[in-house]
Amino acid sequence: MMQQLSDWLTNTPVSQALAGTDWFVPAVQTVHILAIAAVLALLATLHARLLGLTTRAPSPLRLAATCLPGFWGALALLLLSGTLLVLAEPGRELMNPAFRVKMPLVALLAVLTLFLQRGLTRRHWHDSPGGRRLAGVLAAASALLCVAIVAAGRFIAYA
Amino acid sequence: MSIPGLMHVIEAQRYSMAIARSPWMFPALETVHVFALTLVVGSVGLIDLRLLGLSFRDRSVRELCASVLPWTWGAFAVAGSCGALLFSSKATLYYTNLPFRLKMLGLLLAALNMLVFHAITARNLHRWDQGVPPLAARLAGGISLTLWIAIVAAGRWIGFTT
Repeated sequence: MMQQLSDWLTNTPVSQALAGTDWFVPAVQTVHILAIAAVLALLATLHARLLGLTTRAPSPLRLAATCLPGFWGALALLLLSGTLLVLAEPGRELMNPAFRVKMPLVALLAVLTLFLQRGLTRRHWHDSPGGRRLAGVLAAASALLCVAIVAAGRFIAYA
Repeated sequence: MSIPGLMHVIEAQRYSMAIARSPWMFPALETVHVFALTLVVGSVGLIDLRLLGLSFRDRSVRELCASVLPWTWGAFAVAGSCGALLFSSKATLYYTNLPFRLKMLGLLLAALNMLVFHAITARNLHRWDQGVPPLAARLAGGISLTLWIAIVAAGRWIGFTT
């Protein structure tokens, strides 16, 4: 089914126009990398605080309020630029094993972050030892997920 | 020795040849390089946006720098070491590559911008630490953000021209 989708996309006028434009893929990849930079820096700021690696920083609740809206914005930009990259090179992405590993991991990161955000803002996890522990576990898991996602993304070029 | 001669010597080192011949070392180093550089650019970007008065306005510049910059330098050391190893594997090719040269120029300019900021602009930091930074500091933030975007773009273009 993925093969048929890929073949169909490849033959659409949009895909052919994008594939025929030399600068399009590197330019969109640049935007994609800059958005990854934003996601990683914003999540790292929050995660480092939740894991107790930075103590001078503001409270987890305030950090969640400053970092997470930016995170969701950058994630939306990643989905948009990623979709454009798939349109420009459907076969390179959709049929790629590294791409197929990467996408479920991205979905998992989004779910974990949503869970963490709700826990911090609605259930005030930072006020109880159990909540703080859970937030720390989620922060460590998302940090590992980020490493795996970036690695899978880079390996699309080699898989 | 001439610079092209030096590039040949770098390429002929045992570690350079090992990276060039291995099927997995170059992609693996590149993955670590990309991960580290996104942390560098992202963390520098947090400070640049604060200097521009666009985000983290409730945090003092000094406190933000103190909590972010150690991570930036750690990530920069990793990105730089991996970058140097990637360079060694195809030194001659990269040395003559225009996007590579532009990227190095961008890094140099970013370093100069940072030095000017710390040596001159930040001398009266105590006066605007909590508030909106003065024009010179906002300029430093804007220049830094622009340069880092250009550095990422030039870096990405290396892969399409070599």
